[in-house]
Amino acid sequence: MNAIEIKNLSKNFGPKQAVCGLDMTVPMGAIYGFIGENGSGKSTTQKMICGLIPISGGSVRLYGKDHTDEGVRARVGGLIEAPGCFPGLTVWDNMMLQAANLSIPNAEEEVIKVLKMVRMEGAAGNKFKNCSLGMKQRVGIAMALLGEPSLLVLDEPLNGLDADGMRIMREVFTDIVKDGTRSILVSSHLLGELQKVATHYGIIRHGKMIAQMTAQELDASCRTYIALKAEEMKKAKNLLGCSYSRVETDEAGFLRVYDQTTAEAVVTYLYENGVIVTEIMTDKIGLEEYYTDLMKGGK
Amino acid sequence: MARELKFESPSFAKRMKGMLGVDLYRLFHTPMFYIFLGIAAIIPAMVSAMTMMPDQNGNTMEPLYSNVWQIMAASEPLYVIRGIADYANMNMVFIFGGIMVSIFIGHDYKSGYVKQLFTTHAKKQDYMLSKTLVCAFAMACMCVTYLIGGIAGGLFAGYAWDVNFGSLLMAILGKMIMSLGWASLYTFLNIIFRKYFGISIASSFFFGTGILIIGAAAIVENLSLPTAFLNLFLYGSSVNACLVSNFGTLLTCIAVSVCWTLFYNLLGARILWKSDVY
Repeated sequence: MNAIEIKNLSKNFGPKQAVCGLDMTVPMGAIYGFIGENGSGKSTTQKMICGLIPISGGSVRLYGKDHTDEGVRARVGGLIEAPGCFPGLTVWDNMMLQAANLSIPNAEEEVIKVLKMVRMEGAAGNKFKNCSLGMKQRVGIAMALLGEPSLLVLDEPLNGLDADGMRIMREVFTDIVKDGTRSILVSSHLLGELQKVATHYGIIRHGKMIAQMTAQELDASCRTYIALKAEEMKKAKNLLGCSYSRVETDEAGFLRVYDQTTAEAVVTYLYENGVIVTEIMTDKIGLEEYYTDLMKGGK
Repeated sequence: MARELKFESPSFAKRMKGMLGVDLYRLFHTPMFYIFLGIAAIIPAMVSAMTMMPDQNGNTMEPLYSNVWQIMAASEPLYVIRGIADYANMNMVFIFGGIMVSIFIGHDYKSGYVKQLFTTHAKKQDYMLSKTLVCAFAMACMCVTYLIGGIAGGLFAGYAWDVNFGSLLMAILGKMIMSLGWASLYTFLNIIFRKYFGISIASSFFFGTGILIIGAAAIVENLSLPTAFLNLFLYGSSVNACLVSNFGTLLTCIAVSVCWTLFYNLLGARILWKSDVY
């Protein structure tokens, strides 16, 4: 049984089609990284999963049941766009209100537990409006965690978090899914951070899913490359360009050779043509580069 | 070890208990609620103690009222208003209440609370019902402060206090019960205009004046229908609660209020179900 099973989902806003024929499968126990450009339909899809906007076509099933099922809805936690907190109330009061809404029996214990998870127990007495952006995001995530939801739908939860905050969130996400029954659907533009925790990926473009894969599949499909620096970079680039099909200069000034070859072969070839290699390494492209390539239409 | 997944549908009582608890907590922590309670008390006190108007010759000034009872209710139905001062009666509470409901629901949407709520709650009618009940309670409280303010102002101004206590009780209860119908109307209006806070407040104010009853009164008159027909409407029944204060009127108020509440709640839930949450 999958946590989320979406088939042929569509959503129209008047004449504009925000999501068209989207298919998505989020297995149980997955941290599903949902990636796409601004306006690609990520938030709209997440809102439909959360029952915040009606769907125009297709189906959304959560744990095998329709997404409007009361029992299933009660087991979903969400952070969509912004935490649903009243600014004039304290963090504690906001959390307790959500606990009351969810009819959580030991509300105080539960609130303390989730606030500790996101390291916000010390700020429980602060008014929500006085919290920083990062703190607000953490409160939003803590609120979504109340009642031990089986499915967490998080829209850009890493926005505004500092390095420590992101590390904490990675730990929280990993901890949540470790028993294999709870799942997280998380969208983010911080692909580097997402890659550190996600077990599955879905890439959406113009309202359509253009790629869905596991972290292992991504790893396998991410090409290896050789990055090098030489004494005469221009000459090295020209030489490599003659012998290899794809040679590019990266942001750090390294020459990257994407063809199937070895570092030894590249060094030997350049040396034989009078170019001394000063630095060389073999690496793989990351999610960010894979995504950029995909958006450009590359492989 | 993997946990067993359970998807139990929460009972209606459990859902409502949680939502009503939250809404009541919020109501008592909303400064606007206390401000409107104060306004509801001050207005009748001020009107009864300070309002003076020229006599028929236009020479001397005399008090607007002669009896405390007149502060609570118009001596005639308000759709035959002859002067702006005729508006100064307990139906004003429903206008204040409308503005308060707009602010209350506006905060729900502005803060993102509604998104949080509907992510975990499938039943949209719960929201309508919870808001209606809590806002009706707030308006009923305003009726009480209006009564207190009116009595205090009237006694201070030295008006007569020859009132039938039973009638007064029936009238106040009638008004408090009508709060439910009014609250459902305002909740419905605020659901429709949820994206536009200003229009929400304006519409609550507009409909809170009961202005549409003028049209209904004209239709009743032209068709030679009995004026009791107007009591089917929220405003008509709210006025009637004070004009004919007896147990029968109270029952009419209950029936009218509950019927309109059901109507607006079902319609509002339908709209929420079919439309996007912002």
